[in-house]
Amino acid sequence: MTPSTADTMELDVNALGTFYRMASEGAGLAAGRLTHMTGVDTRVGVTRLNFVRGSEVAAEFDDGRAKVGVRVDTEDGLEGSSMVVFDRENALRIVSTLVPDSMGATDEFDELNTSAMTEVGQIMNSGFIDGWADVLETVIDLSPPEFVTGESAADFIGHLPTAPDEDDFVVLFRSNIEAVGTEVGFSHYFFPEHESISSLVERRREDDAAAIDYDKLEGFDRMAEQGAEEAADNITTLTGIETEIDIRRLNFVSLEAIAEEVADEMLVGIAFEFDGTPSGYLVLMFDEDSAEHIAEAMMPGAGDGDDGLSEMGQSALQELGNIMTSGMLDGWANVLDTTIDHSTPEFIHDAGSAAIDPIVINLGENQEYAFVFDTRIRAADADIDCDIFAIPDEEDLMRALDDLDVARVGEAPTTAEFPVDGDEDVETVDEPDPDPDEIESDL
Amino acid sequence: MKTYGTEPGTPTTDPLRVGISEFAVSDGNETMKSYGLGSCLAIALWDPGAGIGGLAHVMLPSGDERDDSDRKPGKFADTAIRTMLRQIVEMGGDYTAVEAKIAGGSDMFEFDSFEEGVGKRNVEAAREELDKLGVPLVAEDVGGDRGRTVEFDAGSGALSIKTPDGNGPPTEL
Repeated sequence: MTPSTADTMELDVNALGTFYRMASEGAGLAAGRLTHMTGVDTRVGVTRLNFVRGSEVAAEFDDGRAKVGVRVDTEDGLEGSSMVVFDRENALRIVSTLVPDSMGATDEFDELNTSAMTEVGQIMNSGFIDGWADVLETVIDLSPPEFVTGESAADFIGHLPTAPDEDDFVVLFRSNIEAVGTEVGFSHYFFPEHESISSLVERRREDDAAAIDYDKLEGFDRMAEQGAEEAADNITTLTGIETEIDIRRLNFVSLEAIAEEVADEMLVGIAFEFDGTPSGYLVLMFDEDSAEHIAEAMMPGAGDGDDGLSEMGQSALQELGNIMTSGMLDGWANVLDTTIDHSTPEFIHDAGSAAIDPIVINLGENQEYAFVFDTRIRAADADIDCDIFAIPDEEDLMRALDDLDVARVGEAPTTAEFPVDGDEDVETVDEPDPDPDEIESDL
Repeated sequence: MKTYGTEPGTPTTDPLRVGISEFAVSDGNETMKSYGLGSCLAIALWDPGAGIGGLAHVMLPSGDERDDSDRKPGKFADTAIRTMLRQIVEMGGDYTAVEAKIAGGSDMFEFDSFEEGVGKRNVEAAREELDKLGVPLVAEDVGGDRGRTVEFDAGSGALSIKTPDGNGPPTEL
């Protein structure tokens, strides 16, 4: 989505909910058609809407890898450009399933391979777009497909009038398609024409629903940034371990997806409720090894209990969680110019979804979706990963953002950028097992 | 024949994974699995005579006053029970023969905002709806403060419950 700054497009939860359903419907149809065409078994995993800057979208194209894409332009119900992009090697692998007799020449995009790949891209693009049209109850027409190759943003979106500028916020649709046995990682982007998307958002708005000015997404970004930095600094202060922020994302997801994402992994969690504008919940999650490593670092011997963590280790982790949570919420409160209090920590050692589902259930009484501030802090040297899910009450958050003076936020000092979504877009080439592949759509 | 609570056309896996707010009904020997239930509740309905069964992974007690219950009947205890029951009958099951088993509904945290417990509310809602519809609740494993992973065999009606870490023998209902 690429709003001009002069335009005050307002996003409300209803419009975002529509986008969310478009994303998951589109991914379902695209996955089904990919399966139908290639015989590769797929399963659609978690869908999220992800708020990022145009510069981050460009960085995904500028990763130095050879890629091929298939682009179609859309008209009528929703105007823009839709593009499916594969790593070149993945594309060749898919083509080889379709054109087994292409004279063994599956390392080149000759006429036959190009034509087969264009058809795959066309069918997937139309899967997404048909899913969207279903949700929007409209008809979206597609132009003939165009085959694109290259390895940079310039090659793929340089000439597109609808591509976002560096500082524009865009909403990415991210979905996992899990493919069994074959690597089919790809990304899907949609760059809407501005007038077309604005009027869609406007039509989907409900008059009484809390809405945020698109411009205020800046505030989200700043909250996420300051919160993550405070939390990461606090680990280092307390443990002496050097940390870095590995991922920092702001997602809009269905409540179910928050729990599904961590469903069957055993995790050590420290959970809090917080109160203020916004109120909500915050859960820090460590995989079992990370929890032991960090407890050990804080208190030698504390990582040695019967089920990996001694009682001492548990209280050390709770203390750390307490301090990180204070840091993150202080970071938010600074940006929002308010105060946010939090509860004492609750310790949990269980399946990830068992830790998250009580929280989404409680939020679920009043909302269907949630904004999730998703942060991964990593201490590579000490083999520690910590995921933080901060989930504010939706109405509170909208109110907090509405009160936010963006001009003031804009004046606050900025800090260095770090990669967003660092691990997720890596498309490993040779993993033999079921491998979650990500698709994403940029709206 | 199988029917799924998720969008049509979505490819499936074996055992069939029933995610949060989803349900599935089958008249084959299908195994259905829900991972890591905390305060969510697994509701299994089964007609022993017809060998038709369904599993729902519900998140909230009541969908009657909610806009999204048409779109996601599996999300709420009451609408999930009614929808599965209807589908079992549509597939040739006998309403009066259907029996129910439930598992889950733990209360993992003691937050002030959770009041009397989010898991407990789900369990109560399921019991109430089953009672209202005259479906006997023949077995349950609910409450506590640990997660559960459940597997339901639509052919035999067995509901098997494990702790997510996989330690210890499963509970068979």
